[in-house]
This record gives sequence, structure tokens and C-alpha cells, in this order.
Amino acid sequence: MDFLLLLLASGLVSGAAYGLIAMGFALIFKSTGVVNFAQGELVMLTAYISFTLYSTFDLSFFPLMLVTIPISMAIGLALERLFIRPMLGEPIFAIVMVTVGLAVVLRGITIMIWGPDPFNFNAGIPTEVVELGGVPFYPAQLYLIGALAVLTAAGWAFLRFSRMGIAMRAVAANETAALLVGISVSRIHAIAWMLSAAIASIAGVLFAANFKLAPDLWFQGLRSFPAVILGGMDSVIGSAVAGLVIGVIENLFQGYVGQGLREISGFIVIVIVLMVRPFGLFGSRDIERV
Amino acid sequence: MRTGHFKERTAQLVALSDSKVVWSFAGLLLALVLAAPFLIGNYQVTLLVSAMIAIVGAVGLNMLTGTTGLISLGQAGFLAVGAYTNAILMMDHGWPVWLSLPAAGVVSALVSLLVGVPSLRLKGLYLAITTLAFAFIINHVILYAEWLTHGPNGIFVSGAKVMGVDLQRGKALYYLTFGITVLVVFAALNIQRSRVGRAWMAIRDHDIAARVMGVDLLRYKLYAFMVSSFIVGIAGALISLQIRFVNIDVFALILSIEALAIIILGGLGSIAGAILGAIFLSLLPEAIRLFFDAFADTNSSFYTTYVYEIRGITYGIVIIAFLRLKPEGLIGLWRDVRKYWSNWPLAY
Repeated sequence: MDFLLLLLASGLVSGAAYGLIAMGFALIFKSTGVVNFAQGELVMLTAYISFTLYSTFDLSFFPLMLVTIPISMAIGLALERLFIRPMLGEPIFAIVMVTVGLAVVLRGITIMIWGPDPFNFNAGIPTEVVELGGVPFYPAQLYLIGALAVLTAAGWAFLRFSRMGIAMRAVAANETAALLVGISVSRIHAIAWMLSAAIASIAGVLFAANFKLAPDLWFQGLRSFPAVILGGMDSVIGSAVAGLVIGVIENLFQGYVGQGLREISGFIVIVIVLMVRPFGLFGSRDIERV
Repeated sequence: MRTGHFKERTAQLVALSDSKVVWSFAGLLLALVLAAPFLIGNYQVTLLVSAMIAIVGAVGLNMLTGTTGLISLGQAGFLAVGAYTNAILMMDHGWPVWLSLPAAGVVSALVSLLVGVPSLRLKGLYLAITTLAFAFIINHVILYAEWLTHGPNGIFVSGAKVMGVDLQRGKALYYLTFGITVLVVFAALNIQRSRVGRAWMAIRDHDIAARVMGVDLLRYKLYAFMVSSFIVGIAGALISLQIRFVNIDVFALILSIEALAIIILGGLGSIAGAILGAIFLSLLPEAIRLFFDAFADTNSSFYTTYVYEIRGITYGIVIIAFLRLKPEGLIGLWRDVRKYWSNWPLAY
């Protein structure tokens, strides 16, 4: 029983990281229709930037995020302006391939700047173990789960009530119609990239605080794909929830089925979901079948 | 501008090219490539072999992504299947290389059904993600099925002899690769203008319209997967012969991206483009090395530590630059030059 509880707890922690990264994917896909293959690299780059800020100014967690998030948003905006905006009107395939190219470039640059060695980075979060219901947690783990909860709630409220969020949903539903009622579609695209980069930075810093800040952090982006698919590519909240599910599934596979299955269990879920319910658990059902 | 250019017989319509100039240039090129091992050094021969293997792989991927419009991010997986099949059959089961090489293609084609069947309902981005997932699953299967693949240790590949000639050495490997490349390119050129090739293009351009015209989507998509993976599997087997060692690190994700970079750079859907792209991209690392040679020490720790990143960044920049500035790729550039040449001094 204890073993199961531990598996569930650590599953929820890594799942929260998947959920956060997946939210970033879904936000961009929802409003622009592009899968951003560079999301993992965005997570990595912003985490490294935050690490440099942390080691230069020795900030504690919240001030650190207060500085990191605006920088990340600026990076997101710059990427959208420089690489995605000029591709407007090209086929989706071309835009997605640009994000693939962007991914390898960002990854290479990040590794070349900060070097191939991993860093320990606690992001100014205390390290005393806290016990919750008999299961020991590190504060960083609780921060991660807390961040997912707060961002999910904030994301829901934003998309439901705020003017910008409603405009974003309108663009997702029908770009031309949104343009006709006076929504600036290009601005919505830019905002989607900015918010997505902000979420990526939160995910990156908290992931690094929980595990390690290493050059393979970008891989978490690909590992979060199962969550995006399971939740539905255009469902921001769904992706967050699905992230937790995938994290738990991975840990249960690891614990009960076999070592080494952890990494691929998520991808097996992708294949199954795409065969049974390609639009995911919460996504909108508009995939045409031929 | 060519004038008085009529086609009066069916044979003229289906000919690969009706221009004597094209044929004589192709013949000249063929003769040059055949004579090359006697004209250049061993190192350059190795480079040419890598370039030809890249051509085989790129032509295979081009069938799937360029002609049929099914995006695959899982090429590294198919290459790994081909390379491992060849290595396992040759080293553990003692098959002769002339049997294990086609077997690598067949196994790769069969494995492609595993990803092909679930992908039939998907297209575009969803398919890209499924193939990506497939590549990861293959990698892990190879890593953990130690009884079959020797896991992380990898397999040394040696002793590929046919009639006493070691096919893994210099000129023999060169001519083997050359023969396969020519075969694959001609096969691809012929498939593209057959019923199957036209069906693939119809699916790429509009799948619903293709279905309405009577193209069996299920069958032709699976054909595309199988033919493409057969060719890619053979490319994988050739890689295993060339580098004499298969290991999971050889088939990292960057290889899938490199493959896509090749066909985007060359021009999607064009076989000549795939060839140009493959040559360009396999000589690119060499160009980068020469560039560093000219300006800095190639043995410097910066270059040796980050050689992998530098390559990645170059691929990324090539992909982005071509998609942004010249979506038709190198072959589009070539067409522009040709048009400009034949129309000069008029603009068009």
C-alpha cells in the first residue's frame, strides 16, 4: 500500500510537470492551430535563464519568477514575431516544420551557452521534507503541484471570463469570423505565444528544482505529448488534467510492469488514444475521417 | 524555349525524359560517379558513400512525406529497424549479406504496418506525433530486448563477403551503395508515374477528392508506408555496413530531423530534389569543419564538445531558411535558374 502511495505521489509530481508543459502546447495549438515542437526547448531555455538570474542575484522563489516570467514572455513574443509571423498563410506543415527547426536551434544554443554539465538548481525553494498524509514530500514537489492547480484555475477563468480569453476562444473557433467581428487575430497569436512561454518558464524552473537542470530538459517537451493528446490538443484544462493522469500511469508501469517501460508507456497511450478517440478526452470533436 | 516539341506516341508521353541533353548529362554524371573511387582519396570516397546512403533514405522518406503527404518524424526508427535486422541476421544467424540486405527492407516494411495501420485515421500533425512516438517505442524495444539486440552494447558488423570480396571495404562498399542508389532512384521515378504514384499524389493534394475518384485510401496509404519503409530499411542496413557497428545512439531523434531537413531543402515531392538535398546536407558537416578549420582550431575543445550542437543548429537554420525563403527547395532554385537561362534576355 505504501509502495502504491509513493508511486502515486511521485506520479502526481512528474505528472504536474507534464501538465504544465502540455498546457503550453495546447494554448498555442488552440489559438494558432500549430503544434509547437519547440515547447520543450522553450522550457529548457527559460529554466537556464532563470538559473543564471538565481545564481547572480540570489533571489527567493517568488521574486525569481517575477523576473523570469516577463523575460520568458519577451522570448515567446520574439519567436512569434521573427519566425512564426512571417510564415502566416503558408501550409500548417511548413509552420510546424519551422518550429521543429527552431527546436534544434534553441537546444543547440542553450547547450552551447550553459555547457553540457547538469546544475543543481533549487530556485530558492526550501528543502526540508514535509509530511502529508503519511507521504513525505519536498516543498518543491508541492510547489509544482500547486502551480499546476493555480494555473489550471487561472487558465479556466481567463478563457471563460476575460475579454482576451473569450477573444482567444473565438479565434480558435473560427479565425475569419473572429477577424470580422473586430478581433485582432495576429495579436491573439502573439499573446498565445507569450502566455505559453510564461507557462513554459514556470514548468521549467519547477521541474529543474525537483529534478535537475540538465541539457536533456528539452526531452520533457516530447514526454508531455501523451498528455496533450490524451487531454485533447485544443483543450488547455484537459491537457493539465491529462498530465497528472500520464504521470501516474508512467509510475504505475514502472512500479508494476517493468523497468524501462516508464519512458514508453506514455507513447503507448498516445497510440491507443489516437486509435480510439483521436480528439482526446476533452478536445473538440472536429477531426474528419476519410 | 523549345519549340516544335510534339508528343505523338504514348511512349513519348511516359518517357522519363525526352531530352537528349538530359540523358547525355545523366550518362556523363553516371560515368563520373563510377570512375570516382579511382580519382579521389579514400576519405572522399567515404563521404560519397554517406551521401549516397542519405540519398536512398531521402528518396524513401520523400515517397511518404513528399508524394503522399504523410508527415513522418519517425525515420530514425525505421533506419534502426533496418540496421538492426541486417546486423542481427548477419552476425547472430550467419545470413549472407545479399540475403540480409533485402530482409532488412522487408522487416522494416512489415514493422511500418504497425505504425501505418493505427495512423490511417490520422493525418498531418497527429500522424507526425504518432510516428515520433513510434520511434521512441522502437528505441526502447531495442534497448531492452537484450536477447535479440544485445541491448546497450550494440552489435559489431563485419564479414559481409560476397564471392570473397569484402563489401564493407572502400571501393566494394562504394559500388554496392552506388548500385542500390541507382536502383532505388529508378524504382522511385517509375513508381511516381505509375497508377500508384498518381494515387499517392491525389491523396496528398486532397484526400476526400481522391476517395471520391475511387482511390482506396487504406490500401494506398499502406503501400506508401511499406514502400517507403522498405527503402529506408535498406538505407539503415547500408549504414550498419558502413559504420560497422550498430548502437541505439546512432539512431537518435536528430536523424529523423535530418531526414526531413533533406527533403525540405531539396524540394518536397521531387526525387531530383531529394538527391540534391541529400548531397547538400551530407556535405554540410564537412563544410562546417572546413569553415572552422579556416577560422579556428578544429581540435579546440569548443568544437569537439559542441560538434553535435553545431550540426543541429545548422540543420535547424537550413530548415527555417528554406521554408521561409524558398519553399520549393533546391530543385525550385534550379528550375528558376533554368528558366532564366533559356529565356534570357527576356524576363519570361
